[in-house]
Amino acid sequence: MPTVAELERAMKPTWCPGCGNFGMYRALKETIEELGLSAEEFAMVWGIGCHGNGADFYNVQGFHGLHGRALPVATGIAITRPDLKVIVEMGDGDGYGIGGNHFIHSVRRNIDMTAIFHNNQIYGLTTGQASPTSDQFMKTPSTPGGVVEEPVNPVGVSVAQGATFVARGFAGDIPHLKELYKRAILHEGFSVLDIYQPCVTWNKFNTFSWFRDRVYKIEDLPDYDPTDRTKAFDLSMSTFHELTCAPDECKIPIGVFFEEPDSFTYQDGLPQLDRPMWKHAEKPRNISATMAKYGG
Amino acid sequence: MPEAPTELRVRIGGEAGFGIKAAGQTLARSFVDAGLETFDLTEYPSLIRGGHNNYLLRVSTEPVYSHVEPVDVLMCLNRETLDLHHAELVDGGAVIFDPADFDASDVPSRLRAVPVPLMEFAREAGGKIMRNTVALGAVLALVDFPLTTLTDSLRAQFAHKAPEIAENNAKAATQGYDTAKAACPDFPIRLAAVKDAPKRMLVDGNEALAMGALAAGIGFYAAYPMTPASSILHFMAAHEREYGVVVKHTEDEIAAMNMVVGAAFGGTRAMTASAGGGFALMVEAFGMAGASESAVVVGVLTRPGPATGLATWTEQSDLRYVIHAAQGEFPRVVMAPGDREDAFTLTWKAFNLADQLQTPVVILGDSYLSDNRQSIPPFDLSQVTIDRGKLVTEGDMADHPDALDADGRYLRYKLADDGVSLRVLPGVKGANQLGNSYEHDEYGFGAAGEPAEVRTAQNEKRMRKMDLARTLVPPPAYFGAPPEEAAIGLLFFGTTKGPAREAARMLEREGVKVALMQVVTVFPFPADEVAAFLGTVPKVLLVEGNFTGQLEGLVRQECLLPIENTLHRYDGRPFTPEQIVARVKEVL
Repeated sequence: MPTVAELERAMKPTWCPGCGNFGMYRALKETIEELGLSAEEFAMVWGIGCHGNGADFYNVQGFHGLHGRALPVATGIAITRPDLKVIVEMGDGDGYGIGGNHFIHSVRRNIDMTAIFHNNQIYGLTTGQASPTSDQFMKTPSTPGGVVEEPVNPVGVSVAQGATFVARGFAGDIPHLKELYKRAILHEGFSVLDIYQPCVTWNKFNTFSWFRDRVYKIEDLPDYDPTDRTKAFDLSMSTFHELTCAPDECKIPIGVFFEEPDSFTYQDGLPQLDRPMWKHAEKPRNISATMAKYGG
Repeated sequence: MPEAPTELRVRIGGEAGFGIKAAGQTLARSFVDAGLETFDLTEYPSLIRGGHNNYLLRVSTEPVYSHVEPVDVLMCLNRETLDLHHAELVDGGAVIFDPADFDASDVPSRLRAVPVPLMEFAREAGGKIMRNTVALGAVLALVDFPLTTLTDSLRAQFAHKAPEIAENNAKAATQGYDTAKAACPDFPIRLAAVKDAPKRMLVDGNEALAMGALAAGIGFYAAYPMTPASSILHFMAAHEREYGVVVKHTEDEIAAMNMVVGAAFGGTRAMTASAGGGFALMVEAFGMAGASESAVVVGVLTRPGPATGLATWTEQSDLRYVIHAAQGEFPRVVMAPGDREDAFTLTWKAFNLADQLQTPVVILGDSYLSDNRQSIPPFDLSQVTIDRGKLVTEGDMADHPDALDADGRYLRYKLADDGVSLRVLPGVKGANQLGNSYEHDEYGFGAAGEPAEVRTAQNEKRMRKMDLARTLVPPPAYFGAPPEEAAIGLLFFGTTKGPAREAARMLEREGVKVALMQVVTVFPFPADEVAAFLGTVPKVLLVEGNFTGQLEGLVRQECLLPIENTLHRYDGRPFTPEQIVARVKEVL
């Protein structure tokens, strides 16, 4: 069972000093240690982006895939290796933009795995262009006149698309983040974790202090029921804010929006997934019964 | 008395959506069950209803390798079929038609008009859906073939349905049979059941390919529907629970290819397939399979392009594209099955090659292979072997000290003389590793792959696998006369094999000896063998189904030899043997 120190037996992180990724990195390592996962029972997958550089910083079994394509690689592992828990890390451009199609379909599949989105509302690795979650009217090198589109609402999309676990975290609150990670990893089904993770280099607007002034915990809401999908959707819509809104005008909820504990997972629909699928290639398959149907 | 011909060519034509292919396959099944050999060709436009569909069936007492141009019997399920196809009929050929559709006087006088009230009989038997069955009965009557082979196969086909369905169909077939018999008692072709004939399967290329994948122990198949590859997905899905395969119809081909790489990371034998258009979406992840040294198999079943092209027709114009697909350089193997037996054999071998080389392997086919059925001997399962190469599936890394660094950490991409590192699956104790789409060091770390010497070493390590591939891949195949005795050699790849073999047989009957060379593994290209062939035959004709001469270009590039005579086709139709024969005669 890897400790934080063992998980760090890889390369040294090269994120910018103060990057929100550090908080997520620490929270996940501590979560893995505290859950007592063994090194052999889980695998991680990354897309491409600043988050993806994290692939070099974990000493785990993992795969660093293409930009936007972490989810299908992770799916390929999850639905052929029932002995592995799969944790996927993605960025906002990576997961909600170029990989948006995989995002929607992974949610509706309810594959038992954990999807962590590093949401800094900007493209960091490619030097500061607008991302699908950039606030409307934000000026960036690719949107000098300001972003025209509405930002993607990942929580709302997930809830609407039938997700069975949807939470939002903030990289500036590591203890809270760890609780979300633990619940997401232990949840049986597709867990969506949208994590605000400020980019200290390219996003001068959505900073740590900007978030600290605005986030509040969903669990502090009186009478909030995280099994009510409609309420979860309503709460997700309260996320949207004007670019210049004052702290008391736009509050950002963090915590578990929605959870359906006993859902039917994609793996539940695969009775043939009763062993690691590589075991089918230990000897040639006898297909003579099938050949007979064709006259052979 | 000359012997009656032993071949029958039947074309069934009608409007799309009326089960013409299914009816044709029932007929084919009846002949094969009686010990005859068949090859069929289905032509259909990319329409749901309407448009002209036709099904061509060639039946023979000898093995047949392709369709041919002449037709003996034309089964018209509408007037359009007569107009489009009567010219293909041999003199004295028969036109079976419903007198409700047109008059016997519309049938050219060089042909036999065989009116059979198809629709009326179908309605009498219980419904117009049985019109095709009436027609099949009529075809058998012309060639004096026992109707019981059809009625038996109809009874087997409908065994799971209410008994009157099979009986109604048998009645419909009998009415068609009796009427055609009376209308045309003197048709010159006679077919009889062959006693003690060897067992035959009737499969199309996709079925053969899918059976090859199953035999090889495939555990994961992911795909997005695209003609002509879709039926592989259907076949796999139909057998997923019986054999233990996870089959995923994905949101797009990008997901399919990426999922296959993920499954391969977990050690599962995994495959995807599509047409050239779907493969275009897979290409980035196809390259990732090369970079991450993933053992994956990809089927590319091509059709005429560019773009959506001709969705339901055939072409061999994706050879260069598949050989070069994806940015950067990485090892790959591309094999082109020529027929259904090749499709089975090369597919199971593709899984071994992918594991031995830890790199992507492509099966390059086309619609002509995918869609059409041929009678063939049952696949010899005893020949199928599984070789997973340098793979460790279980245990402890401590038992593999050669793959560890001084601190006991696993080197997934350890430099190796043959380019192939020990591949230890996730789940094995101590096998932490990073599969990577980035260039990487021996552990798999991306940032550590940046130094020039690391990049060079990893690049050279991967490319060394091409040398190993050359020792492992299937060699070219030769047919016909020995090259040193031949008047001409035919050089081709893929499904041109069938028409080329038929052409050689026709020319042989005319005293022209033809040597055939099929480039089975198109990449790495068998330059030495091709050069030797070109150096032996007095003349060569290169036959390929594209405009630009893609195989010809490879010969020039790899052998530094010119090709003087070529034959191209790019109208969406497969070569016919007659077309090749005519070109050979021009060249000679």
